[in-house]
Amino acid sequence: MYLDMSGNTQSKRVEKSSPDRSLVPPCQAVCPLHMDIREYVDLLAQGRTMEALHVIRNGNPFPAICAYVCTHPCEEACRRGEVDKPIAIRALKRFAVEFGGDRMMQVEARTEHCEKVAIIGSGPAGLACAYYLRKLGYPVTVFEAHSELGGMLRIGIPQYRLPREVLDTEVQRLTQMGVEIRTNTRVVSLELLFDIGYKAIFVTIGAHQSLRMGIEGEESPGVIDGATFLREVNLGLKPSLGERVGVVGGGNVAIDAARTAVRLGARSVNILYRRSRDEMPADSVEIEQAEEEGIEILFLVTPTRVKRENGQLNVTCIKMELGEPDASGRRQPVPIRDSAFSKEFDALITAIGQSPQTPEDFRLRIGRGSIIQVDPITLTTNRTGVFAGGDAVTGPATVTQALATGRLAASRIDDYLQHRYPLASSAERESPIGHLLPETIETIRKIGRLEPPTLAAEARAEDFAPVELAYDWESATNEARRCLRCGIGAEILFQDKCATCLTCIRVCPYHVPYVDASGTIQIPSDQCQACGICVAECPAKAIVLRKPHDRRHITEELDHILRSAAESKSKPVIVGFCCQYGLFGTGTLARFWRGAKAGVWIVPVLCIAKVEANHILRAFEAGAEGVFIAGCGEQCSRENTAYWVRQRVAKVRSTLEQIGLERERVQAFVLGDSSDDLVNELDRFTDQIGALYLTSVILEEVKS
Amino acid sequence: MPNSLFKEKLCSDKFLVTTEIGPPKGADTSEMVHHIDLLKDMVDAINVTDNQSSVMRYPSLGGCLFIKERGGEPIFQMTCRDRNRLALEADLLLAYSRGIANVLCLTGDCVDVGDHKEAKPVFDLDSIQLLEMIKTLESGIDMGGNDLKGAPKFCMGASVHPEADFIEPQLIKFDKKVTAGAQFFQTQGIFDLGSLKRFMQYASQFNVKILAGIIVMASAGMARYMNNNVPGIIVPQAIMDELATAEKGKGLLKGVEIAARFIKTIKEENLCHGVHIMAVGNEGIVPDILEAAEMVGVST
Amino acid sequence: MIVAQEKPLAEIRRMIDRYERVLILGCGTCMTVCGAGGEREVSYLHEVLRVAQARGGNGTHTVSEYTVKRQCDPEFLELLVDRVGDVDAVLSLGCGIGVQAIAERFPEIPVLPGVNTSFMGMAKEQGVWDERCAACGDCRLEETAGICPITRCTKGILNGPCAGTKNGKCEANKDMDCAWVLIYQRLERQGQLEKMRRYYPPRNFRTIARPKRIVSKANIDAGGDDA
Repeated sequence: MYLDMSGNTQSKRVEKSSPDRSLVPPCQAVCPLHMDIREYVDLLAQGRTMEALHVIRNGNPFPAICAYVCTHPCEEACRRGEVDKPIAIRALKRFAVEFGGDRMMQVEARTEHCEKVAIIGSGPAGLACAYYLRKLGYPVTVFEAHSELGGMLRIGIPQYRLPREVLDTEVQRLTQMGVEIRTNTRVVSLELLFDIGYKAIFVTIGAHQSLRMGIEGEESPGVIDGATFLREVNLGLKPSLGERVGVVGGGNVAIDAARTAVRLGARSVNILYRRSRDEMPADSVEIEQAEEEGIEILFLVTPTRVKRENGQLNVTCIKMELGEPDASGRRQPVPIRDSAFSKEFDALITAIGQSPQTPEDFRLRIGRGSIIQVDPITLTTNRTGVFAGGDAVTGPATVTQALATGRLAASRIDDYLQHRYPLASSAERESPIGHLLPETIETIRKIGRLEPPTLAAEARAEDFAPVELAYDWESATNEARRCLRCGIGAEILFQDKCATCLTCIRVCPYHVPYVDASGTIQIPSDQCQACGICVAECPAKAIVLRKPHDRRHITEELDHILRSAAESKSKPVIVGFCCQYGLFGTGTLARFWRGAKAGVWIVPVLCIAKVEANHILRAFEAGAEGVFIAGCGEQCSRENTAYWVRQRVAKVRSTLEQIGLERERVQAFVLGDSSDDLVNELDRFTDQIGALYLTSVILEEVKS
Repeated sequence: MPNSLFKEKLCSDKFLVTTEIGPPKGADTSEMVHHIDLLKDMVDAINVTDNQSSVMRYPSLGGCLFIKERGGEPIFQMTCRDRNRLALEADLLLAYSRGIANVLCLTGDCVDVGDHKEAKPVFDLDSIQLLEMIKTLESGIDMGGNDLKGAPKFCMGASVHPEADFIEPQLIKFDKKVTAGAQFFQTQGIFDLGSLKRFMQYASQFNVKILAGIIVMASAGMARYMNNNVPGIIVPQAIMDELATAEKGKGLLKGVEIAARFIKTIKEENLCHGVHIMAVGNEGIVPDILEAAEMVGVST
Repeated sequence: MIVAQEKPLAEIRRMIDRYERVLILGCGTCMTVCGAGGEREVSYLHEVLRVAQARGGNGTHTVSEYTVKRQCDPEFLELLVDRVGDVDAVLSLGCGIGVQAIAERFPEIPVLPGVNTSFMGMAKEQGVWDERCAACGDCRLEETAGICPITRCTKGILNGPCAGTKNGKCEANKDMDCAWVLIYQRLERQGQLEKMRRYYPPRNFRTIARPKRIVSKANIDAGGDDA
């Protein structure tokens, strides 16, 4: 009988080490919805698509929509971009949505309150607010002036960017939740809504009024404003544009209009933009795809006069050059004297911006640019019980920002109706994680970004089918494992235990830990690549991984497996620690599962670098006859992991010998080591262990 | 107390010949005595090795006493591996009192290469400190600064390694040994006369006598073994090949031939002052070597 | 750094065989640095004993674990006062100093050494430690260009090298450099070969007469300074 008591002080230490010490990564900090991107990318790297989708749905009410049209500020902030290219986060989200079965997701909601809330406008802000208020248990009605829900999602963004079915699915889910929808209903008075019993109103009417260029001839037939043009197309009309189309503007609306014109049959489409390519606000991928589709962009050009003659538009343009920066920081375009030229078009689409158009009868205070003024913390307007958000408040912004506003509005309205004090939001907007040092970047393996596949340029112009396709399984897994795992690396939690032995400095493949001026070892969270080698090698056990889940993961999985193995009758028991990441985890490991004979129990680990000698011995203690560690080898996204596993295997082997067990009972299988298939190697190992086990059983019987 | 006969010969221009006897591993000294009788009149002096290669044997001092008894001239080989300064001083007093007047001062091989690997290595002194210590004793005081009742007098010798692959530090040591009072040097095995010549060019500035060490190999296998395992011995490939040409069982004759050839050349070309023949385990073959080198009757 | 190596498992098991309740005590300083007796090794040894037990060892043991910052200072040992009352033996993974310190502080309890303390040395690279200092008490590194002839020369001679050096390596261990060749090279580089040409008299072994003691405090009588 073997009893065990661990030191008291040390178990107190375990409690202290439980809180989550992970840091908010830049992707999450900059995301308007504060999504746990790091977590779902990690799950995708393990092939756990449904769980990834779950994490996504936790933070985002309409992941499918974002998967198509989010402007991905996370990718701009992604620190992988400092090494090579950022992680393709939006494309990964799209993969999770499509392969994780988002369409099947049901959302439950029950009515818990009696206060009714009215939402005017069914753009992303309105829909998100409806979703969250409904989940909180409020009866919600969405009023939409048009015949279909979605706001800009429906009438602004073309279908080749956001397919109709995706939007419809999301809208249907709201209905399933019990949100009341009133389309074709234009609200003219807020008092009326209060009179019929609504206790709070969220005004989110968007910004649909196109800005005028303010040039002569703007009223001429053939000159269309971009918002109206896109709305008509999205509602099913096919405006005739003729062969030569000009689009004025540089934002996503201009690009959308131009690409829509191509799909409607225009032979030549030009975009006229008054600044240069670098200043163009449209998404760079959109610009690239537009040019692939044959759209020519004329930079530093602006129209000054439009004249309709002989059935076409004669547009006088002038060349511009960039002068001093304006208030927004961008350099002001200045016309170059005597550089006027003219171009002929059959149609001219203006897309230089939109502004909201709030009915005067709402009696809301309006600010510059026609936006509704609100208190930034509570989102309240000048009228009690009336909240506002979305493009109507910010001017044209992104879908994700609108979703975030809708979510915030829901919680503010809830505060208001439940008479709670509205505290300022505590979500960190700044990540505490700084930039990667050049020395660290040098040591990180460069793996190029896998772009999601797109339709060939020629195929695109034929219809409005989505241009961007989803990843396949392999590409998604490979792309996801490029993530640097910012903020969940190692830290020296117990500085008093640290003997400054310098082991962590010597074993880190990325040269991250260093000795500071006072002689203390520091592991800067900015540079740590979360491989886990120093955690397993520290002789004083002073270093831990920041996330509690990571700390306990292997021990918990191992204990669980050992209990199951003990209950099963299959003998001998063989335990295998197998990496779950990447193609190894999703491919080879799957074959391991299938190929493994009875009695082989697999403990999934997140990188074998974290498997310690103690874990291996623990398996033997609990009755395993053989233990193996299987990992990705050359596919591993971290360095030196196989080397350290082999060191630990060597140590355990020499220990086993001293106990009277054979060295062969521990084995490391690393992809790329031998040309033989890993499953064959596992078979041989299983047979070997079987033979050893049989021998020992016979010896036991002979003894007794 | 008698003077050293060997020392007298050192002072002359005679070509010197010495050889060494390896004592038995045990108390049966008959074979050793037999070899002493065989060689005592053929050479100018006979060394007795001191636990050579850190293998425990009948002591050098005992062998020297036998040589003295039988009328030969002994050279007492003394290493610093097994005894501290008190024991070394005491043994020197004993040696001198029994007429043993020649000492070869060596540091000694390390314990690891021998057959008592777990023994404590002493190395209280090194070879140079031993030479200095003898000088001190000769002046009438011991290392503790105490007056001696009867001071010994010795003819001191040391070893040198002209074929060392890194020669400068060995030359520094050689200098120190000369300064410390060494009057004769027996070298490690010589296989390359070129390096002997180069060494002699340097050494001839000193008033010391150099005896070239000649090792007699019994076979190519023995040569290889010594090359790999015996400190200070480097056998060139050419010699090992030459040994390998011998017929089975005739390896020793080949070794004799090679040794004689070396001795002859050294004498004829006057490369140094003499030779020290090391026929470890084959002391009986020494007369044959001398004969083959036409050196019989050289010793008077 | 004091460098040690774990004792063979068979020896440890033999030592603890007769005791039922054993405390494995680690040391958070030198033994952690050289990887022989820090908290990780304590926990590893504990696991090893459990495996040995589970695979059919004799006897029963109740093992507990603890690690102190240092075993060689009495203040740190005060933390053990409660624990030693509950055990029959302490298996210390500290160096020989630590083992003896614990034995002195807790004379009723048998204290067993779990490591073989080997030398004072430094890391050549991660996982490789070399001896450097013999604590001879008469440091002469000035003479030998910073290379200790006592630890790095097998024979520890002061007028080296001996004739056994081959290829710059020691006759006793072909992997070890001949210290005197290194000393020569470095003195030559520094232009100080005359230091090697000097005669160095025999060592004063009185400096290592055992047990040694160094007293750094002055002896001050009450009411006045010591003359």
